[in-house]
Amino acid sequence: MEKSFTKEDRLFKKNLSLYILIILIFSHSTAFSQETFCKQIANYTMDVKLNTENKTIKATEILSWTNDTSYPTNELRFHLYWNAFQNNMSTFLTEAARRSRSISSFKEEDWGHCRVDTIKIMANPFFEESDLMPFMEFQHPDDGNLFDQTVFSVVLPRAIRPGQTIQLRIEFESKVPRPISRTGVYKDYYFIAQWFPKIGVFADGQWNCHQYHSASEYFADYGTYDVRITLPSSFIIGATGERRGKTDNNDGTTTHHFHQHSVHDFAWTASPRFLETIESFEFAPGKTTEITLLLQPQHKRLKDRYMNAVKNAIKYCSLFYGDYPYTTATCVDPAYNSRSGGMEYPTLFTGGAYFITWKGISRPEGVTIHEFGHGYFYGLVGTNEFENAWMDEGFTSFLDTEVYHAAYGEPVYNRTYFGIPVTFKDVRIPIESDGISRHRQTSNMDEMQRFAWEFLEGGSYGANSYSKASLMLRTLKRFMGQDLFSEMIKAYSQRFWFKHPRPEDFYAVVSEYAGRDMSWFLDQFVYGSGKLDYAIGKISSQRVKQPQGWFDGEYIKRQIKEDRYNSEVIVRRLGEVRLPVDVLVVFEDGEEIRETWDGQYRWKRFTYLKPSRIKKAVVDPEFKYVLDINRTNNSMMRKPDKLAPFKWVSNWMAWLQHALEFFTIIGG
Amino acid sequence: MKILWNFVRGFTATGRVAKMVLFLYIINLLFSLLLVIPMYNSLKNSLGQSEVGSRMAEGFDYIWWEEFRDDAKGLETTFSPSIIGKGAILNNLESLIQMRFFFIPPLLMVFGLFYIIFRVFLAGGILSTFNQDIPRFTLREFAQGAGTHFFHFLALMLLSWGLIMAIGAFFLDSINSIINDIAAKSTSEVTPFILMFALSALTFAFLLFVQMVFDYARIKIVLEESRNIFKSTLEALGFVFKHPFSTFGLFYLIYLIQAAVTVAYILLKEIIPQSNFPLVLAAFFIQQLFIFAVIWIRCLLYSSQMALYRYMK
Repeated sequence: MEKSFTKEDRLFKKNLSLYILIILIFSHSTAFSQETFCKQIANYTMDVKLNTENKTIKATEILSWTNDTSYPTNELRFHLYWNAFQNNMSTFLTEAARRSRSISSFKEEDWGHCRVDTIKIMANPFFEESDLMPFMEFQHPDDGNLFDQTVFSVVLPRAIRPGQTIQLRIEFESKVPRPISRTGVYKDYYFIAQWFPKIGVFADGQWNCHQYHSASEYFADYGTYDVRITLPSSFIIGATGERRGKTDNNDGTTTHHFHQHSVHDFAWTASPRFLETIESFEFAPGKTTEITLLLQPQHKRLKDRYMNAVKNAIKYCSLFYGDYPYTTATCVDPAYNSRSGGMEYPTLFTGGAYFITWKGISRPEGVTIHEFGHGYFYGLVGTNEFENAWMDEGFTSFLDTEVYHAAYGEPVYNRTYFGIPVTFKDVRIPIESDGISRHRQTSNMDEMQRFAWEFLEGGSYGANSYSKASLMLRTLKRFMGQDLFSEMIKAYSQRFWFKHPRPEDFYAVVSEYAGRDMSWFLDQFVYGSGKLDYAIGKISSQRVKQPQGWFDGEYIKRQIKEDRYNSEVIVRRLGEVRLPVDVLVVFEDGEEIRETWDGQYRWKRFTYLKPSRIKKAVVDPEFKYVLDINRTNNSMMRKPDKLAPFKWVSNWMAWLQHALEFFTIIGG
Repeated sequence: MKILWNFVRGFTATGRVAKMVLFLYIINLLFSLLLVIPMYNSLKNSLGQSEVGSRMAEGFDYIWWEEFRDDAKGLETTFSPSIIGKGAILNNLESLIQMRFFFIPPLLMVFGLFYIIFRVFLAGGILSTFNQDIPRFTLREFAQGAGTHFFHFLALMLLSWGLIMAIGAFFLDSINSIINDIAAKSTSEVTPFILMFALSALTFAFLLFVQMVFDYARIKIVLEESRNIFKSTLEALGFVFKHPFSTFGLFYLIYLIQAAVTVAYILLKEIIPQSNFPLVLAAFFIQQLFIFAVIWIRCLLYSSQMALYRYMK
C-alpha cells in the first residue's frame, strides 16, 4: 500500500500542471455548458445500436463516476439487471416462481442477458488507462445465489478518493428478453429499461448494489445521460430526456440523440406502430413542459384521456410537491402482452389502458397519474426502492389518489362483463377506501419497513409498500391538519430532491412541522404491524334512579320519575395501535359533546347526566384514521336504521330469484 | 305468420292459467326466502347499530361493503354492488355462459340444483296444463301431470347436461384455448375481446338451442306419451331442423320479449332511488313484478312451442 502511494505521488507530481489545466477546462465546461439541478455523480454517454433482426443491443458506454462520499473505495459495483432473465436460476426468477410467474414456455431465443465485453479505465487526471476485465467478478450480496449474475464488481488498481472522478469505457452486448417483467421485446414493441451496466450507489463507505429481485425496484445516483440510439428508421422512439436531434444514416437506420441531466436512470421504447402526439403544456405561469404521448393504435380514442391525465398529474403534482423541473414528460401506452405497463423511469413512464372505458372509470387516468407521480417519489426524491419500498410506492400511491380525486372526483364502481366494463353510478368509491382492504387482509404479516424481497409474500409486499404507507400518510394528513401536512409534504419533497432520503429523514421533517417528535406516531406504522381499530363498545341511557329505602334512619319513598338520564359511552381500542382519538356523543335533544381519549388503555368510559338520551356516539368522527380496519364499528346508534338490511336483502333477493329462474335454461 | 299465430295461441293459453304462473312465482319466492333469511341476518349483524346503516339506507357505503366482503363466507360472498338492477341480470348471464356457477358457494349451488330439479318436476305440470283443450289450472291436475312426467323429464335434464358438458368440454374448451393462444400472441386486446365475445355469444346460442330442443322433447313426451327420451330428443331435433324458421323464429321472438321486459325493468329500477321505506317497497314490488314476468314468459314459451308443435304436426 505504501509502495503504491509513493508511485501515485510521483505520477501525480509529474503531471501536476497538465492535470490542473485539464481540471480547469473540465470544470469550466461543466459549469457553463448547462445548468444542472444537482451534483452529477454518475454520468453516462452511450452509443447504442438496436438490431431488430436478432433482438440485440450493442453499445458503448462511457461512465464518469465521482466519489461524492468522504470514504475512498478501491472497488466499483454495477448492476446487470438483464441477467435476471438469462436463466431460471437467477434470484429474480427463483423468487418470481414463488409468485407463479411462469417462464415454462420460454424458448432459447426468449432469454435475455447483458454481457460486458470490455471495461476499461480511461485516462484522466486521477487514473491511468487500465483494463478491468480480469478483475470483474459477479457478486451475490443478498442471497449468495451463485447462479445470479445481476451484480458485478471490479477491483481498481488504486482507490478512488473522495471527490475524485473515474471514467470507464464499457462495451456491452445485450439480448433483449421476451417480456417477463417491465422490459423486453414483444413483436415489434421494444421497452428497454434497466438495460445497461449501471453503477451502484456508494454511501457510508460501502456499496449499495443489490441483486435484482422479483419484488424490488431500483436505486442509483443522479447524473447526466447523453445517449444516441440507432434503430430502423420506421421506428418511433421515446426516451428519457430531451430530444437533441436525429440523423438519417442512409442505410435504413436513424440515430436519435437524447440528453438529460439530473436523473438517475435512462429508459427508452420503440415501435413502428406508435401514434405519437406532442403537446406543450404550461402547468404554471411561465412554466412549460413538452408532453409526448406514444399510443397504441387501438387506443387512439383514448388520446385525450391520456393527455389530460398527464396534464392533471403535472399540474397537481407541481402544486402539491413542487414545480416539475424537467422540460419533457413522455407517456407510453404499452403494447398488450408486453408486461411493461405501469412503470416509471425519469421523465418517461408507462400507463395502461383498455380500449373500452367510460367516464368515471379510473383507467387510464389512475395508472398514468401514479406512474407520473413516481417522477417525484423515486425520480426527484431518490429513495432506495430496494430497502425502503414504502417511501416510493406508498408516497406515490398517496399522491395518485390525492391528484386523481382533486382532478376527477370519486371514481364509480365498475365491473367487467364479457370484456365490457359496466359502471354503477350510484356506487362511488371514496378516497378513504383506497388500499384499506389490502391492508386489512395482510396487515399483520409484515412490518412496513423491510427490504422489498423480504416480505412474506407478494400480497404483503404490495399491501405494506403501497397501501399501508399511503393510508399512513392520509392518516397523518388528517391528524396534522390539511394545511400543515401540505406544507410538510411539499417541504419534504423539495428538500430531498436529488438526494437519497431514509425513513429518519422523513421522520425529521414530520417532527419539524408538527413541532414535536412524531416517532411515537410513525413508529407504530413503519416498524410495527399492529392494527388500528377503534370502536364504540356500548351506549346506554337510563332514567336517573330516585332514592328509595332507608337513608340514615329515614325511610324515603320512591318519588315520581325524574326526567334526567344517566348515559354512558364505552369506547374501545380493539387494535394494537395507540393514538389519541376524538369521540362525538350526540343526544336526542341535539346537544353534542366532544371528548378526547388518549387511547392508551383498552377502553374508556364516558358518563353523562343529561335531560335527554344518547342518540349516537362516534369514535373518530372526522374519519382521521383511515388506517382503521373497521369503520363500521366506529359508531353506534341507540335506534339504528332498520331500513338498510331490508332494502339490500330485497335487492339481493331479486338477484337470487332471477338466478334461480334463469338457470332453468339448463335443464328446467 | 305461423310464428305469430302460435305465439298468440300460446299467449292466450298462458293468460288463461295466470293462477299457475302465480303458483310458480310463489314457489320461486318461497325458495328464495329460505336463503333470504340468513342473508338478511348477515346484513343486519354486519350493520349492527352503526350509523353506516343510515348511509346504506340512503345509498351505498362502499367502505362498509369492503369490510363485509373481506369477512364474507358462504352466501355473503355473493353480495356486491353489482347485484343492483342491471348488475343482477348481467351477473347471472355471465355466470351461465361462463359456467361460473361451479364457483358459487356450495350452499347456493346445492340449493340451485334442488330448485332446477324441482322445476323439472313442475315442468310436467306446466305442460300437462297446456295440453288441455282449454287450459285450466288446478293443483291436483298440475301435480298429477308433474308426477307423471318427472322421471322422464329428469332423464332429459341429465341428457341435456351431458350434451352441454360434452360440447362444453370438447368443443367450447378447445375454442377457448385457441382464443387464449391467439390472445397470448396478440399485440392488442381488441382481438381477444372480439373472439371471447363471439365465443360467449356462441355459447349462449348453443345453450338456448339445447333448451329449445329439449323443450320440444318434453312437449313430445307429454303430447305423444313417448317414453323413450333418446328417441324424443332426436325427434325434437329433427322437428327443429325440419321447421327452422318457425321454431327459431318463435323461440327468439319470445326471448326478444324477455329482453325487452328485462331492459324495461332495469330502466325502471334505476330511476327509483330506494332512499326511504315507500321507495324501497316500490322497488321491491317492481322486482317481484319482474320475476313474475320472467316466469310468465317461460310459461308463454312452453305454451307457444306446444301450439307450434301441434300446428306443425
